[in-house]
Amino acid sequence: MNDLFTIFIVMALVNNIVLAKFLGLCPFFGVSKKLSNAVSMGMAVTLVMLLASVATSVIYNYILVPFNVEFMEIVLYILVIASLVQIVELIIKRTNITLYNSLGIFLPLITTNCAVLGVTLINSSGDYTILQSIVSALGGGIGFTLVLIIMSGIREKLDVAETPPAMKGLPIAFITAALLALAFLGFNGLM
Amino acid sequence: MLERLKSKRFYPIVFLALIVLVSVSLLLYIDTFTSEVVEAQNKAKIQAVLESIFPELTDFEEDGDLFVIYEGDNITGYTFLASGNGYSGIISMLVGINTDYTIKDVAILSQTETPGLGSKITEKEFTGQFVGLTLDDIVLSGDGGSIDSITGATISSRAVTETIREKMAGIIEMLSE
Amino acid sequence: MEEETQEKNFKASQGKGSIFWKELVKGLVISNPVFILTLGLCPVLAVTNSIDNALGMGAGVIFVLLCSNIIISAIRKAIPPLVRIPVFIVVIATFVTILSLIFEAYLPPLHESLGIYLSLIVVNCIILGRAEVFASKNNVLYSIADAIGIGLGFTIALIMIALFREILGTGGLAVFGFKLFSIPVLSEHPMTFFISPPGAFLVIGLLMALFRWIGVIKGE
Repeated sequence: MNDLFTIFIVMALVNNIVLAKFLGLCPFFGVSKKLSNAVSMGMAVTLVMLLASVATSVIYNYILVPFNVEFMEIVLYILVIASLVQIVELIIKRTNITLYNSLGIFLPLITTNCAVLGVTLINSSGDYTILQSIVSALGGGIGFTLVLIIMSGIREKLDVAETPPAMKGLPIAFITAALLALAFLGFNGLM
Repeated sequence: MLERLKSKRFYPIVFLALIVLVSVSLLLYIDTFTSEVVEAQNKAKIQAVLESIFPELTDFEEDGDLFVIYEGDNITGYTFLASGNGYSGIISMLVGINTDYTIKDVAILSQTETPGLGSKITEKEFTGQFVGLTLDDIVLSGDGGSIDSITGATISSRAVTETIREKMAGIIEMLSE
Repeated sequence: MEEETQEKNFKASQGKGSIFWKELVKGLVISNPVFILTLGLCPVLAVTNSIDNALGMGAGVIFVLLCSNIIISAIRKAIPPLVRIPVFIVVIATFVTILSLIFEAYLPPLHESLGIYLSLIVVNCIILGRAEVFASKNNVLYSIADAIGIGLGFTIALIMIALFREILGTGGLAVFGFKLFSIPVLSEHPMTFFISPPGAFLVIGLLMALFRWIGVIKGE
């Protein structure tokens, strides 16, 4: 599975990072009913994912592997991601204040988002080149945004439906996710 | 005294740098002896697998990814390490070939494919298909060859097949020189 | 703020020993990280597909939580507020790496099956959360109690979910190679759905609903 197209499809659909790899669940379950917010969140995460994948892939291929210091992976990756999120946050604040306000606390929380670190770890465990990492991040980000959009639409219906009290909120969201994950399993047939 | 130190402007950066320094040193130290253990384990594992592919082997010579298998003073075959990207991670394997460059056996060393589907590449039902094949036969049946993919695990099956074929081509070329 | 002072006074009036146990029990039930705080869910879904993975991850989280709570609590007075989050992150990342190196050398099959989720402990909101909320503000002894309590609560939750998924999904239970039991009809035709991703979501959703229905937690 080294060719770019397969990597993209697998990251976005077949092995969707949310529904199959369980990454990025916090923003997934916390997504608002407004479609525009879901899209903004998805795009923000995709951007950070892309930048982080490039940066970490460079570190992996030119520093970690050649100098035999793969054990520094976790510390370096998470510091890189934390810094990138700070920078992206600053840029968004300066260029689009409405976007900044609507994303709110979720922007700095992207640092602790398993999705970003998860994708960078998937890249290194697959020994991806920088190009492969970029495609992988694109697939991951788009898959993440797709699922966020779907969930955002469903949440609107969930809120007005008559759910039993014990199920209200997270439990019913999880069961919805189960059905979504089941549907996405169908993508296995693509391969 | 701590309060006076904390009020200095450079304190935060110095503190953080110190923490990172301690962290790196600690990790470097621990890595030196754990990586020795890991290497020893890998060696033992490879030796065990080599012996399962060539039960009568008396000795082997290592040359990068290639192992030359001896029975007494005669070369009885070769084994090479190959790894490629599967469905979810790297699949690494040892492939044994006879002196006439037909496959003796295939052993999967490590994989993280889907349990119950892609993980079936480790089973004899799949790997046994490679036994006796020449380089040109190593093609999936979907592409006109004789290797049947595992149902529902085409990517994993393809990954193994192509990885073996590519690496084997390189090894044969190297041996023929 | 008043709540905090009340809590401080209450703690001061109790003996040190009983506070230790109170903090510990708190993490197990009242503030159970998985079912109540719903923190750090990513690894939960991924590693509960087998009891081995659940136990391994649980032990790992307890180790990292304990070590990072101890260190952060020990140096809490010296940490400059400006860089406290990066400091927490580096400390936690260091211990996660140590855990990963130890597993790789001494427990290779566990290291292989946990995969990236082992490294992902570093972004587990539980550990960063405890560092920020507790360890940086309390002494070492209480921080140890907090770590053990929350860690055990997390592990027990993992085990509960894994029990369901493994028994229904494979028809039996095997702990580190030892077959504990095997249910007759189920083991020939296990409901592999439960080992798969949708099964994970379903089991946790149902368990959460169960906890709320029993009234252990106050519902939304």
